[in-house]
Amino acid sequence: MKCILCMFAFVAIVQNSSAQQLQKELDSLTQLLKTQNGKDTTTVDLRNLYVKQALFANPSDTTLLDFVKGTLRVSQQIGYDKGTMQAYERMALIYQYSLSNPYKAQEFYHEALSLIERNKSLQSFGWSIYGGIGTLYYEQEEYSKALRYFKQVLKHDTSLELTATANIANIYGSQEQSDSAIYFYNRALRLEQVKTNPTYKANLYSNLSLIYGRNGQVDSALICAEKSITLIETYGIEFVRPTAYANASMAYLANHDYVKAEKYAHLALELSDAQGNLFLQKSAWGSLADIYAAKGDFAQALEAHKRFSVLKDSLNGQNRRVEINKKELEFNFEKERSTTKMEIERQTTLKRAYLFGGGSLLLASVFGFLLYKRHRDAFEQKKEADFRAMVSETELKALRAQMNPHFIFNSLNSIGDYILKNDTYTAMEYLTKFAKLMRTVLENSEFKEIPLDEDLKFLDLYLQVEIKRQPGKFDYAVKIEEGLDIQNILVPPLLLQPFIENSIWHGFTPKSTHGRILIDISRKENMLVCMVDDNGSGGWADGGMPMEKKSFGIAITESRLEVLNRQKNTNGKLKIIDKGQDKGTQVEISLPLELLY
Amino acid sequence: MIVAIVDDEQHCIDHLVHLLQPHIGILEIVSFNTVSEAIKGIDELHPNIVFLDVQLHDKTGFDLLASVSYREFNLIFTTAYEKYAIEAFRFSAIAYLLKPVDREDFEYAFQKAMEKSEQAQLHERINVLLSNISTEHNPKRISVPHKDGYLFLVATDIIRCQADINYTHIFTSDGKKHTASKTLKHFEQLLVGHNFFRTHNSHLINLRYVTSYHRDGYALLDNGERLEVSTRRRESFIKACSLI
Repeated sequence: MKCILCMFAFVAIVQNSSAQQLQKELDSLTQLLKTQNGKDTTTVDLRNLYVKQALFANPSDTTLLDFVKGTLRVSQQIGYDKGTMQAYERMALIYQYSLSNPYKAQEFYHEALSLIERNKSLQSFGWSIYGGIGTLYYEQEEYSKALRYFKQVLKHDTSLELTATANIANIYGSQEQSDSAIYFYNRALRLEQVKTNPTYKANLYSNLSLIYGRNGQVDSALICAEKSITLIETYGIEFVRPTAYANASMAYLANHDYVKAEKYAHLALELSDAQGNLFLQKSAWGSLADIYAAKGDFAQALEAHKRFSVLKDSLNGQNRRVEINKKELEFNFEKERSTTKMEIERQTTLKRAYLFGGGSLLLASVFGFLLYKRHRDAFEQKKEADFRAMVSETELKALRAQMNPHFIFNSLNSIGDYILKNDTYTAMEYLTKFAKLMRTVLENSEFKEIPLDEDLKFLDLYLQVEIKRQPGKFDYAVKIEEGLDIQNILVPPLLLQPFIENSIWHGFTPKSTHGRILIDISRKENMLVCMVDDNGSGGWADGGMPMEKKSFGIAITESRLEVLNRQKNTNGKLKIIDKGQDKGTQVEISLPLELLY
Repeated sequence: MIVAIVDDEQHCIDHLVHLLQPHIGILEIVSFNTVSEAIKGIDELHPNIVFLDVQLHDKTGFDLLASVSYREFNLIFTTAYEKYAIEAFRFSAIAYLLKPVDREDFEYAFQKAMEKSEQAQLHERINVLLSNISTEHNPKRISVPHKDGYLFLVATDIIRCQADINYTHIFTSDGKKHTASKTLKHFEQLLVGHNFFRTHNSHLINLRYVTSYHRDGYALLDNGERLEVSTRRRESFIKACSLI
């Protein structure tokens, strides 16, 4: 048996009137609308009411869509939320029932729901929308979702109790939970609302008969089918008639009443042909095939079966299309969602990139600036240090240069003194010695530092020359600490000469004993200590002589040491020790030990 | 023994004559005031020792040397303070006395001039001197005394000098090693201003041959040798290298 579930879904609109009544109401509404052309809430309400009725009276009226659009426009213009919401609902209904576009329908249902979200006061008017969505899900065979919606409606809106109950029954029927289905059908049939609504009653009985039939309760199925048909005949309920006939045919078939079964099948076929309802046609042909087979009219049975198969295939194709549509929709939605997600991610990445880029740039700038600053500071410092070094160098050079005339004039004194005491030829030879000394002074004073042995050589020559001038007056000794590499030690030139000169000129008075000058070079840790010691009268250092008369050479040497200390950040020292009257003087110069290699 | 004195100032001649007094017994002293006179005299008299002043009116002692045909004498230049001339003498290993002449220096120079060996290769040394003194941009040559006389080296061919107590080993770009009977200090002073650098107590390097400096204290030469640079010389060594 081709047991086909042929149920009519219960539209979520409370329908109280019969077909004639419906048409009458519709006409009066049309009249009313003609008089009410203003843009106000009353007009909107009226228009919505009209659509609801018109949709039932004439489901294939395509002009209704434009009409609702108009309603929507007016309602939005005047800001009438309830009207707008209901207009959306009407739009959804049109798409759902007239245009068979569940997706569009769903869209409008959701528009309506979002209005409720914004305006909670509309909640009480909104349950029919839940019902509509439930129906949509039911038609799309998403039974659990549909059930959820209808149960909500059942809970919140008593005016929709019947619709909700009936649909719940239908859902259970579709899910082949026959007991639950029968329970809810009977519950629906007991409701007050059903008593004044023969359309519903007929539909409920028709559907119930189907479930009973499927459940094997043939008698109950028959009773229900007959009740349904009686109601249809009595009230002229065209809406339910094809379904009821198809279901009745199946009930009779189950009861082996082939004549009646065939009659209703044919009637259902005729009506569904006229309506173009393939589902009902398929159901009717299925029933007929079974009927003919049961009657033994196999040719007709085969023919009916062929029709049945074609319709079945076509319906499956339709189902497939629906399926494909659904998939496509899901795909589109998925695509949109992923695009949005990607866009968001892109934006986030972009934002992060900007942030990171900006941060890096800032960091780089700061770093670059610091680097620049450090470099600049270092450069400035170096420049300053170079400048200071240059100043010191110049100062030292000037001081060394001052030594030259000093030495020259003192030498001239010596030569003059010699000439007075000796003959011209020996004076000439004395002079050549001094010329040699002067040459050395000039050469050495070119250098900042010279090897110690060079300076000692010069001092030796100088002392020899001076001894020649005053034979027998003094002698000298140079003592160098053992292991001191005098060739590799650097000293500023002519540092000791002024002190030796002082000893010779001021240290030894005519009455004093034989003079003796000792030059002692030694090393103390990393200092080079140069000492000039005499046994003269002493007191020339600072005691006996007024400061301004202090030797020019010594003053220059002090300044040179000072500049050298500043330049090299060292602690070279000059110490003049007066050993007391007639005991002599000791001069000690300590320099940081500087090596050539 | 004939001693010729060439000087345009009479008092200088007198002073030299005075210094020669201790040896007057064995000497015949002649003197000339001008270059032309001197050329004639020298070529005529063939003196054993010539004291030659650098500046002679508008001419120089070098003009004289370039013109004389007889050069088989011992030469001692006398000069007051001519830096360029002194350097040329040192390069050519030719004796010189600075005026006013000191007796000790004079005695030393005169005694040396009396030795026959001092005359060795004088002709070449004079040529070196004349080429070095010339205003043309000739490569500077040095006369290097060694055990059998003199070596003549172009300064820029010397890669480096290495001290060996009182001797110095000179390494040249042709891969040869010469040993001179002078201290490294002598060559250091001689080659001042010719891009030589004393990197170490025993090393004098021609900076032209330095390819790189290594942080661990070595200079690398383009013949592959690694030479120590003493810690105290590093800074100035790097500076000197960068100035080349």
